[in-house]
Amino acid sequence: MVSVPSAVDGLAPAAYAAALAGLPGVGPGWLVAVLAERSPRDAWAAVLAGEIGPPVRGRPRPGAHEWAGAAGRLDVAAQWDRCRRAGIGVCWPGSPGYPEVLGQGPAPAGVLFSAGALDGLGDRRRVAIVGTRRCTPDGSDIAYRLGHDLSDAGVCVISGLALGIDGAAHAGALATRREAGDHGSVGGGEVDGHGEVDGPGVGGTVGVAASGVDVVYPRQHAGLWREMVRVGAILSETPPGHPAQAWRFPSRNRLIAGLAEMVVVVECHSKGGSWHTVEAAIKRGVDVGAVPGSVRSAASVGTNRLLHEGATPVRDAQDVLDALGVFDVRRARPQVPGPAAPTCPTSASGPMRTMEDAVLAAVGWRPLCLDEVVERSGLPLAAVVIALERLEERGALGAEEGWWVRKAH
Amino acid sequence: MLATVSSATLVGVDGHAVSVEVHVSNGLPGFRVVGLPDTSCREARDRVRAALISSGFNWPQKRITVNLAPSGLRKAGSGLDLAVALGVLAADGQIGTVPLAGLAFIAELGLDGSLRRVPGILPLVAASGEEGVVVPPSCGREACLVGRVLTKTAPTLMALVQALRGQAPWPELPPGPEPVEAPTAPDLAEVRGQPLGRRALEVAAAGGHHLLMVGPAGAGKTMLAARLPGLLPALSADQALEVAMVHSAAGLDVAAGALCLCPPFRSPHHSASAVSLIGGGGARLRPGEISCAHNGVLFLDELAEFPAGVLDNLRQPLEEGRVVVCRASGTVAFPARFMLVAAMNACRCDADGSPGSCRCSSAARSRYIARLSGPLLDRFDLRVRVPRPLVEDLLRPAGPAGEGPSEPSATVAARVCEARGRARQRGAPANAQVPAWRLDDVAPVSAGGRRLLERRLREGRLSARGLDRVRRVALTVADLAGDEPPLGEEHILVALALRAPGGEGPGAWQEPVASYGTAAEARPW
Repeated sequence: MVSVPSAVDGLAPAAYAAALAGLPGVGPGWLVAVLAERSPRDAWAAVLAGEIGPPVRGRPRPGAHEWAGAAGRLDVAAQWDRCRRAGIGVCWPGSPGYPEVLGQGPAPAGVLFSAGALDGLGDRRRVAIVGTRRCTPDGSDIAYRLGHDLSDAGVCVISGLALGIDGAAHAGALATRREAGDHGSVGGGEVDGHGEVDGPGVGGTVGVAASGVDVVYPRQHAGLWREMVRVGAILSETPPGHPAQAWRFPSRNRLIAGLAEMVVVVECHSKGGSWHTVEAAIKRGVDVGAVPGSVRSAASVGTNRLLHEGATPVRDAQDVLDALGVFDVRRARPQVPGPAAPTCPTSASGPMRTMEDAVLAAVGWRPLCLDEVVERSGLPLAAVVIALERLEERGALGAEEGWWVRKAH
Repeated sequence: MLATVSSATLVGVDGHAVSVEVHVSNGLPGFRVVGLPDTSCREARDRVRAALISSGFNWPQKRITVNLAPSGLRKAGSGLDLAVALGVLAADGQIGTVPLAGLAFIAELGLDGSLRRVPGILPLVAASGEEGVVVPPSCGREACLVGRVLTKTAPTLMALVQALRGQAPWPELPPGPEPVEAPTAPDLAEVRGQPLGRRALEVAAAGGHHLLMVGPAGAGKTMLAARLPGLLPALSADQALEVAMVHSAAGLDVAAGALCLCPPFRSPHHSASAVSLIGGGGARLRPGEISCAHNGVLFLDELAEFPAGVLDNLRQPLEEGRVVVCRASGTVAFPARFMLVAAMNACRCDADGSPGSCRCSSAARSRYIARLSGPLLDRFDLRVRVPRPLVEDLLRPAGPAGEGPSEPSATVAARVCEARGRARQRGAPANAQVPAWRLDDVAPVSAGGRRLLERRLREGRLSARGLDRVRRVALTVADLAGDEPPLGEEHILVALALRAPGGEGPGAWQEPVASYGTAAEARPW
């Protein structure tokens, strides 16, 4: 009988759960299996004693001693201290704060680390908005809008904090938080980070990371990450301080699908991480919606295939709310600015208007660059740029990266 | 015995007069060159000795000292050979009292006594400071370009001495090749479609603005650029002489017979090194491609394939119009007032750049664009997308002149010339060179234009530098249209459209750093 080292004394159970998750080669399957039988403290003691070994095909192998040494060198107290100082929460199946939805279905979550407020996640409606990192500007715009409108309708927006669609969806959801906060603050001053009150209908946003919750990945999202921790929450199965390994991404995607009541794919290519999320959602019986795109756009190949295979078509937040059965939303479909905005002082009539019509007719639904607009309209460049400016002011056209496209109303 | 003969040497692109002093005295036979000669200058000894003997003269078995004055100036090259040979002959008394004063002698000597050409004849002759100059026959026409200097040639040392003695008439200048027509630039009428690219080319030519064309391979970027020299106004005589001097110093062929008034067009391959582009090199600092493009066009095809470090070297010359090359052997300023025209693909996968067409990851895309530094990108006043031409345009049969939408170069060049005339009346050769403090005077903005600019500035779609550039381009657009300032909305909108894609500065080309914030911030394209 190996004596239990003194390190196992005097720390919260969460400290041992965190330590278990940080063992080399450990995945959620092992953690779930181990923590189903023992408390975190007992499990840690058993690891030190060599009673529980490294996972073999995800399951613990009993009676392996070679792991005990590695585990013994791990400073549980220091790691726990680091978590506490960074305000990182730890939960595991059965512990308070563990999202019940993640404990159900295939491949439940093991030890979860969280930054930010996760409270009441189970009470809110939850929709995942996912998609490709290589999105079109239109795609990121749609994701932003969806995130914004869903959060505004009280739905929690879940995504993966990645570049492209994910980031845009989070940003949209965060914007509603800011708007709600701004309304709440008196005198128009800065919103205080801690005094913020959730707007009545704001659903907020939760990001599921593949790296540790304190390891920003991708770097470009450092600002988003900070804001997410401040007003939303970030979840991860990866212990703090650990970078994202390749296998963590599909694993992270299953958590996104597990948390959500519906997964909306905004744009995805024929291959990519979004498909992992979709597969995980189908396995769990979670609804999958997809935003239709041009059949010519490579970034919409995946979503269009999903639609063909029977996914729910999603044009805007209302379609998602309808699919969720949320009918008591304060807000109806967003008001689209009419074709003749009264605020535009320069909107012309007569010959100018016909010029605009000609240019509008020339710009199709496929993005055209200025060159093509000039050629199609047959008008001189000066006339075309003036007409484009007016049309953009009216909201009839949008320009992305110098590509013009008509806007739907 | 002492003899002094005039000659000249090349430092960078400038010639400097050199007086070759030869002293022949009794003593241990020997030959010594002093006055900072480089290796090829030092080797003059062997060439001169062989040439003298081959020409039937004696090599004096005496102590010969050659001083190249001013002795502080480094002398490079073999152009002093002839002067040294004549100095030796005169100091040794072999050619009697031949008048050497009033003439400068610039040629390399062959071992058989023939006179050979050296690079940089034009600046050398211009700097010689004598009434006349003797050069090899093959350089005779080039030397004549300087004007004011009487040019004489002789095929060999012996012929030269006879002419100097008056025993034979000076050989006739060899008839130069027929004054060549300026090499006809390809015509703009051959370019199908590309309204925006053509317009940008015209504005660039009229205002001297730097131009960047972005588009897929085969869209016609190179074709457009090659037509630029045909649109530019002819050089003035002074400018043409400057160009010829630089080309002469660089060892390029200078069109013999008459100054070439056609602006130079240089297109170095993207494997070019920094030194080849900027200038520098061995003992003699040679002008680089940017100086060869002085008063003309430097076209960098496949801009993103140039090493980033090489490109960033261009920033200072672009601002100053000259480049100062410093080496241990000396410091030389080369003229480099050129128009930069560049072409590149939108990204590595060569998609046409339309949203969603690119197969690259965002990281690969930003890596491709990041090869161009922001400051360099910012120097381009005109940035246009050049898409693949429409099929209809490509297949349209070429009609007789004046038919169809493709304008010939001559028509465009006439407009450019007129616009440049307007710019000259305002006191600057081109709108790109108007000093910033005069911009308010020469390019006032109308109320409508001001509103437009204000909105762009407030939306963050235009930077302060961008504003300056847009006003210059708008001024050129107005000049081309024959409109007087103040700049109207239409001029500014066209200028903004030619400054696409999308927005301002390098940010317009890169992935948003943090795609988060308001919808507009989320995609600052």
